[in-house]
Amino acid sequence: MTTDGTVLATHGLVRQYAPGAGVLGVDLAVPRDCVYGLVGPNGAGKTTLLGLLSGLRRPDAGTIDLAVGPDKLAVVPDVPEFERWLTAAEVVALAGTLVGSAPSPARVAAELARVGLAEAADRRVGGFSRGMTQRLALAAANVGDPELVLLDEPSSALDPAGRAAVLDLIAAWAEQATVLLSSHILSDVQRVADQVGVLREGRLVYQGPLQTLLDRYLSPTWRVRVRGGVAPLRDALDATDWVQGVDDLGGGTLLVRTHSLEQGERGLVVVAAAVGAAVVAMVPEEADLESAFLALTDAGDAA
Amino acid sequence: MNGRTAHPAPMSVARLEWLRLWRTNRLAALLLLFAIFGLLGPVTAVYLPEIIGLASEQEGFEVTIPDPTPPDGIAQYVGNVSQLGLVAVAAVAAMALAVDARPGLAAFYRTRQSGAASWLLPRWLATTLAAVVGWTVGLLAATYETVVLIGALPLDLVLAGWACWAVYLAFVVAVVALAAGVVRSTVGVTAVAVVGLLAVGAVGAIPPLGRWLPSSLVGAPTGLVQGGLDPGDLLKPGLVTVALTVVALVGAVLLARGREL
Repeated sequence: MTTDGTVLATHGLVRQYAPGAGVLGVDLAVPRDCVYGLVGPNGAGKTTLLGLLSGLRRPDAGTIDLAVGPDKLAVVPDVPEFERWLTAAEVVALAGTLVGSAPSPARVAAELARVGLAEAADRRVGGFSRGMTQRLALAAANVGDPELVLLDEPSSALDPAGRAAVLDLIAAWAEQATVLLSSHILSDVQRVADQVGVLREGRLVYQGPLQTLLDRYLSPTWRVRVRGGVAPLRDALDATDWVQGVDDLGGGTLLVRTHSLEQGERGLVVVAAAVGAAVVAMVPEEADLESAFLALTDAGDAA
Repeated sequence: MNGRTAHPAPMSVARLEWLRLWRTNRLAALLLLFAIFGLLGPVTAVYLPEIIGLASEQEGFEVTIPDPTPPDGIAQYVGNVSQLGLVAVAAVAAMALAVDARPGLAAFYRTRQSGAASWLLPRWLATTLAAVVGWTVGLLAATYETVVLIGALPLDLVLAGWACWAVYLAFVVAVVALAAGVVRSTVGVTAVAVVGLLAVGAVGAIPPLGRWLPSSLVGAPTGLVQGGLDPGDLLKPGLVTVALTVVALVGAVLLARGREL
């Protein structure tokens, strides 16, 4: 049982398949009422870790502390499957019954409507598309009123429309439960997660708020557009010690990377004024998880 | 939204197993197979002497086969279902009990049900009942046709033979459950179970052991109506079969519990 506000914690969790493969001493801490994105390249150990957390695999060492009972833990595997001869409504009703809370017909209908499957309630699921099956899995998970939901690659095999629909459902889920999802699609994680854990070769190399990761591992970057020549401003910025780099994008636009956000915010205008540059626009570049992830893993490689 | 969605039947494990048998046509397949064997058995017993006689005349020699007796009708039925019927039961059972053949589906059950027994035992029970119903339908057909075409049968001994096979079918399905703990695919589970049953049969061919093993129940319906067996002779193998069924089920639960996805 966790005591520090986390709904799920692991301590020294190990499951090794071959030397260097698997999960190698992971200390996970998932705060209550968040969407926790577990990211990492293929083979980093995400599915193994989720298998351990859901009880479908057993650790070689370490412990798992869950602050919720097994009936309040819902698991959606990467490729959910159901009995092909059951209807969607029967699948949801069965899912609720198996966790001890047989749902009313109205509840079943509401769950199916929530995931956009109201019209398919009486269809046998054997004919469902991958996206429909994924949404049905979310309905089957939610019908038990879970407090913690584990989702393994929930959007990886879906088309863009299907991904968007599933991510919207996950975002809505976060209002009533803690969600832990694994994905190698970083833009999906960035869209819904507020906490992230980065797995690399079976080890957790970062864990914490998404924004902290973006701030820590990304150089603040501005796109600066000037009227007239860019050379004076470029040369002045190149000679400034708090500027990490300057790229001339052409068309009077410079891409400027600084060591800190504050230095950029305060210093860029001063340098531009000092060289008499006519600044037309100065727009900060939006940070993305993929860049932070690459910076983080590059740092690991360098170490 | 139609009426079915507004008022669907409450879902339960019992309903799940019923739907598994009904919507997959597995129950219908078992009923049809056993019924066909039940209807063909006595007919074969009646007409086999004529068929062989005609064939032997064309070949220029004479084979004399005695006229059929009522036990021959049951013997033909039991002979047929002892092979293809049991393989069919094993295949139907494997389709239900090979829970881990589809990992996504296995995760659905394993993360919602509290233990392996909760998903294995209902499937074993439902499949056993379906097999026993199929066996019963076939035996009723065979008995009726035998009485009409050949002559009367001792119905108390027919009933005793029915009970022997009911116990044996429960054992067969339990062996399939055990096989599902050893291999994952449906075909693999069927194959391992059939090989296991053949092995039990081979051991049962050893005279001192045969009287104790489940395989002696297979020929019991025939032996009883032919007069070669007394119901009391079947008490020991019946009890051993029940015990082995329990052992197989416990083993199946332990193997399923220890397995990872």
